[in-house]
Parts: sequence; structure tokens; C-alpha cells
Amino acid sequence: MNYTAVERDLITLSSITELNYKDKFTALSAMMSPEPDIGAIQKSLIKRCDIGVYNKVEEKYSSPEFRGYVFGELEKRGIECVTYFSEGYPEALKKLKDPPVTLFLKGRRELLNNRCFSIVGSRRSTFYATNGASTFARELSRHFTIVSGFAAGADSAALGGAEYRAVSVIAFGFDHIASLPNAAMLERVEKNGLLLSEYFPTVAPQTYLFPIRNRIIAGLSVGTLVVSAGLKSGALITAGHAVANGRDVFAFPYAMTAGEGAGCNNLIHDGAVLCRGVEDVLGFYGFAPPPEKRIELSEEEAAVLEIMKEDGEIFINTLSQRLGTPSFKLIAVLSSLEIKGLVARIGGNRYTIV
Amino acid sequence: MFSKILSYALNGLEGVAVEIETDINKGMVSYDLVGLPDAAVKESKERVRSAIKNSAFVFPITKITVNLAPADIKKEGSQYDLPIAVSLLKASDQLLSDTDGIVFLGELALDGALRPVTGILPILISARDRGFKKFIIPAANANEASYIDGLEVYAMTSLKQVVAFLKGAEQRLPVEHRGYTAARANAAYDYDMSLVKGQAVAKRALEIAVAGGHNILFVGPPGSGKTLLARCIPTIMPDMTFEEALEVTKIHSVAGELSEEGIVSLRPFRTPHHTATTVSLCGGGNVRLRPGEISMAHKGVLFLDELPEYSRHTLESLRQPLEDKKITVTRAGGTVTYPADFMLCAGMNPCPCGNYGSAVRQCTCTPSQIAKYRAKISGPLMDRIDIQVEVDGVRYDDLAGDASAESSAAVKERVERARAIQRERFADEKSGMINAGMGEKQIKKYCRLSPECEAVLKRAYESLNLSARARTRIIKVARTIADLAFSEDILPEHILEAASYRSYEAEIR
Repeated sequence: MNYTAVERDLITLSSITELNYKDKFTALSAMMSPEPDIGAIQKSLIKRCDIGVYNKVEEKYSSPEFRGYVFGELEKRGIECVTYFSEGYPEALKKLKDPPVTLFLKGRRELLNNRCFSIVGSRRSTFYATNGASTFARELSRHFTIVSGFAAGADSAALGGAEYRAVSVIAFGFDHIASLPNAAMLERVEKNGLLLSEYFPTVAPQTYLFPIRNRIIAGLSVGTLVVSAGLKSGALITAGHAVANGRDVFAFPYAMTAGEGAGCNNLIHDGAVLCRGVEDVLGFYGFAPPPEKRIELSEEEAAVLEIMKEDGEIFINTLSQRLGTPSFKLIAVLSSLEIKGLVARIGGNRYTIV
Repeated sequence: MFSKILSYALNGLEGVAVEIETDINKGMVSYDLVGLPDAAVKESKERVRSAIKNSAFVFPITKITVNLAPADIKKEGSQYDLPIAVSLLKASDQLLSDTDGIVFLGELALDGALRPVTGILPILISARDRGFKKFIIPAANANEASYIDGLEVYAMTSLKQVVAFLKGAEQRLPVEHRGYTAARANAAYDYDMSLVKGQAVAKRALEIAVAGGHNILFVGPPGSGKTLLARCIPTIMPDMTFEEALEVTKIHSVAGELSEEGIVSLRPFRTPHHTATTVSLCGGGNVRLRPGEISMAHKGVLFLDELPEYSRHTLESLRQPLEDKKITVTRAGGTVTYPADFMLCAGMNPCPCGNYGSAVRQCTCTPSQIAKYRAKISGPLMDRIDIQVEVDGVRYDDLAGDASAESSAAVKERVERARAIQRERFADEKSGMINAGMGEKQIKKYCRLSPECEAVLKRAYESLNLSARARTRIIKVARTIADLAFSEDILPEHILEAASYRSYEAEIR
């Protein structure tokens, strides 16, 4: 990888694990001039960190061994870096209060050149949320690059739906992805989409890194859709960053009693755009709604679907009572509808319309 | 003076004749028992001494040697008390009658009464096959013995009675042979399918599972009726034939778990607790080899509730017997083979908190917790469970409503018809073959799929994210569904229904 001298400096700076994201940006601010003044950087950093940390940072920054190590490790893992001063650093990110100094990337970096839209939600999501996340991601990925986190639940569903246009923002170094329960899914994202992190690959996961990560998700995107959020969900932090940076916020509506969506309802109350369907997001940005799909249905399938459209969720037993058909015959019909992607099973012999 | 008496030893379910030789000599007073006796046999010395004395005979006070031949087989159990006592009486000239060809079995109480012993049935069957005809056994084992035809079995209550009978002082008739049907008529199960309210899907799955001999997994929240459903399995299985009943009785007899009835005429239902060890499940034991739960469930049902709570090692040990229908246990004490042709029924919660998929309660588990919980059951074991079905959380309407549920008898009738079709289909294959037992070869031969079915299967495979091994399972189950519907060919709707019995592998949402 060919980097300019400034880029190399910034990458080195970002790889110093003693510094937090704010320190890094402070150092960066001091470098904003075309001719970076090392003295100014020193001054600003000394103001922020204690002297022991500063000495270590300076030692690492100026040591050729450390630089060799950093670029060696990045090369070995095939990680590309885009720094604040590099071409291709997303303009949208620069508007953040403290943007990441360097983006470590794995996958198709050209995805960042596109307009981005983020879809986030909590890990413990209902089928309503995960299915919504994945269908919205699928439809919206025709016009946007879809940005999300990496956790199971809503985020994974969004990444799965976006497939070739998915960007997953990781909250720690890439080395620790393998130990995640959904590592296989992220491997697909790496292959088809893009993994992004502001940390050197060896940085281990820490709980406090996650909220910090959320500013990147919101910062990359023109809009953020929250598909599920309890009252204390991390997805609300993402939405907060989006609001703070003047981006659009969308949310799924929930029932008053649904604890898993109370945060979403609050967002809507505070002015987020309510999503009744993907058309609401597409229309907001002036895109035409997706063409309606036509799927051939047998008579029984149509009858089942009609009842399910009324009820949303239904037990096989209830369905059997309504239609007067023995339940084992319905099993086959529902199975066929499931294969056609019109219904989904949500556990306990219940089916829901998709 | 010297005497020789016949008795019988068991190794697994197979028997060997044992000769009890007693020699009484002049010399230092001693009483030795040789010929690889185990602890229970060694202790018989003292029982025999007291029993002889208390039956008004004389225990000879000289040098006594008792040998159990052949000397290289380990002798276990207490059935040698009686033959040793008789042999001693003969050797000491207190009994002069002819005892040739009579096999003696029985444990002695100190007062000379005869106590029942385990394994009478397999001993009698094995001895009959080897040409022995005449037996003397404890009266308490008479019921068990009465099912064996063509033998002259005398049931006695005490040593005194045995001697009187041998001397001809007391006339006794042999145990009367009883027909199997008589016992069958008295037997009834405590459970019935009509007791299960609602649960139409699970009941249907149960019917398919029994009809094709498929193993089944119930996934459902606590208290949803998994156990009740499992209890109903024996009630819809075809009745056991006499041969099957004898086979099962043999195992239960060896384990000493035979009831008063003397024969097991109902299909066994075994529910080992999830703390069960591998040995208790598969058989073994260091003092005495015993059949395990899987053999006790032979021709019946093995119900493992809370499947993920069993130790992994224990569950993995089931894989081979599930395939071979028998288990060979090798221990320091010897090697035995027990039959283990059982239907596996397992129950588990959908997630650690139990509420996943519930319409009313919120599941508090994260997807990774659920995945970890489910991963406790290995893929290879799951491969052997063809049907996975969800049991709904019970709703009040189902309990209160008395929509008359079908009785077990009605379901059983359909099952028996489906089994008859299978018997005809597999006439050329090894006997006892059912749909669940089909290998790749048989599937190719008997489960031809029309292009339409192939198309459905392919679509299901792609859109439902099925594993490769799920395909074989779906085809086998579809074959059974077709049999239940009297359809010679597998139709697309059969495939579709079969595809839905895979809730365990379904995506966690």
C-alpha cells in the first residue's frame, strides 16, 4: 500500500493504543494545516494527557521500529487505511465533532463513495424488527450503501439484507471478530461488502467503545433508521448522533405495550419519521416505491394469506379453526408460503406475515 | 462322597449350564467354594449352612469342597443357593434320589424358604434351546416361567419342599403354560391421546413419528405438555407380538425389574433423569453387568426430557445403538450384547429461559445464548432425529374447550395400516425394516421423487436454508406421510409438510 508521508503519520498516530479517540482528533486538529507543526501537536497533546502517556506516545510516534510494526501488521492482514487527509475519506464524516483520524478497512472500500443510510436496532429484536431491517436494507440498498453495526439481531439482519452494499462498523480491532458468535456473517460482509473500524486490529473489545462507534454509523449516513430500541438501547445513541449532526432519523412504530420498541416510539414522538413501509424512506429522498411483486398462489394459500393479513400473527390451531381445515393440511400450505417468502414461523407453531 | 447338580449361569441374555460339584472328605473341618464365584455367590455359603440346618437336615462338619464348573466363567447372582444346598445334601447321603437332568435355580433364606431370582426367563429360554427339560425354581418366579412352552418347571417354596418332591414324598404338578393373549388383555396404558388438549401439530407429528419409526424431538416451553405427549407414544404403537414381549421380558428379568405379572406385555417407556451416566444409559456396572436404560426401553420408548441438560458424553454414546439397534458392553467382568431397539423421544425448551417463541411472555435470552443452548446437542445426534416439532404454549381455550380429541385407539389404527404398507414395501429387505431405517440405497429405490417434488424440495432447500442432511430426513418423513395418506407416490404436499418438522434447525429469530 502506498501512503503519503502525512498519511503514514496519521496511521501511526491512530495505531497508538494509549490515545483515545478524542486525543487522536486533538492531535489531528493540530495537524490541520498543510504543513503540520509537530510542536503544536505536542502542545495540544500535553494539555490533554498526563506526561507518562505523552512520553510513551512520543516514543512510539518517533520510533522507526513501531512504524515498521504497524505497517507490517496492516500489510499482513490486508487492511487498507483511509486517513482524514486521504482522498476518499467520506465527507459526511468530516462534519462530526470528532471524526475518526483513520479508517481501517477490509473489503470493498468503494462502497464509501456512495450515499450511505444506516439501519440499526437492538440485539434482542423481534421478528418484526429483524425482518423489517432485512427487507428495508434490501430495498434501500438499490439507492444507498447500508451501514450498520455488527451485533446479532437487527444489525445482522440489516447487513444480511443489504448483501453487496453492506458496511459493518466494528467497535474494536479486526483481530477480535473471529471470536464473535456471528463471525460467519461478518466474513460474508467482508467478502461482499465492507468492514470498517477506527482501531488498530489488535485493540480488544471494551464496552465503552460501542457508544463511541455509534457516532461513525450516524456520521457516515444521510439518515438513520431505528428498527427496534428499548428505552436504553444503544440504537438511541446512534439516533442521537444523527440528530446532533443534522441527519434524518426514521423509526419503526410499536404498540404502546411493546417494551422492545418504547425507544422507537419516543423517537417518533420527538420528531423522527414514522415508517409505515419502505416507501416512506424512499419517498423522503425522492425515490420511487419498489415495484410490487407478483407471486402465484394456490387457492388454499390465498385463503390462508387472507386471514393472516388480518391477524398478522396466528397459531396454526387458530387458523385451522377459522378455516375448518385439519391442521396437518395447513402445515403443508404454510410451509409452501414460507418457501415463497410470504410468511415466516416465529416459534411455538405461530406464523407471521412477512 | 461326591455329587453333581445342574444349574445355569447368564452372560448377558445368553446362558451356560453350570455344574455344581460337591465333595465331602475326611479331614480338617472346612467349607470352600471355588469356581470364580462373585461376592453374592460366596455369601451363599452361610445362607446354605443355615437353610440346611433350619430345614431339619444336618450340615456335615468335615472337609467340604464345592466347585462351580466350568471354572472359567464368572458366576454371579444368588440362584446357586438351592443347587449348592441340594448338592450338599446329596453328597452327605441325606438325599438319595435321582437328580439327573434337573436344573436347580433359587436363592435360599436362612429358614430354608426359597426366594425369587432374576433372569429366570432368559435362563429358561436358553436352557430349553440347549435341550434341558426339567427345572426347579422358586414359586415367586412361576408367573414368569409360565409363558415358556414345552418345559417341565416345578415351582417350590422351600428347601424342605424341594427335598420332599425329589424323594417322591410329595406330588406336584409342573407350572401350567399360559398363553400370551391372556396377559395382553389385562394390560392397559395409563395414558391416552384423548387426554392431550390442543397440540394438533404435535399430535400429528407424533403419529407420523410412530408410523415410520422416526425419532422425535419436542421443543416447547416448560409445562406445555411434552411429557404427556411422550407418554402417549406407547399407546399408539402397534401391540407387541409374543416374540417381542419375550425379548423385552428377558431384559427386564435380567435387570430384576419384572412385575408380578411375569411378562412385559406393554411397550416399555423409560425416562432416565438428565443426571444419568453413560453406564446407566448404555449398560455396564462393575459388580454385575446390567442392561442400561436404552435396553430397558427395547421395543418401546426412551424419553429424554430436557435433552440439552444431559452430559454431552452421555448423549453421544446413544449414536451407535441408535444405528445398530443393539449395544455391546465391554467391561473387566466380560462382554455382553443387549438389544436396544428403541424409539427416541426427546424434549427440550426452545431457549434457556423457555419463553422463546411464546406469544405471551417475553424471551430474555440473546440469540447467542439460544445458539449456545442448542449447540449442546451435536449434529450427528440431531441427524438421527428425523422429526423436530414445536409444542405450543398451552392456552386456556384449549384446556377448557372439549373439542373431543381423538383416542389413541383411532390413531393406532392408522399407524398399523401405515406399518402394514411398510412391511409390504420392505418385503425384500431385512426383516423389521421401517421407513426411518432406510439408508441411501433404499431411499433411492423406494422414494422416487417426481420432478415436481424435486422442484419443491430444491426451493425449500434454498429458501429455508436447510442443511444437506436435512434432505434425507425430509424424504424419509415424506415417505411416512405418504404412507399415512395411502399414497403410493410422494406428493409435493408431503414434502412440504415434512419440511416443516425441522423447527430445531429453523433460524433463531
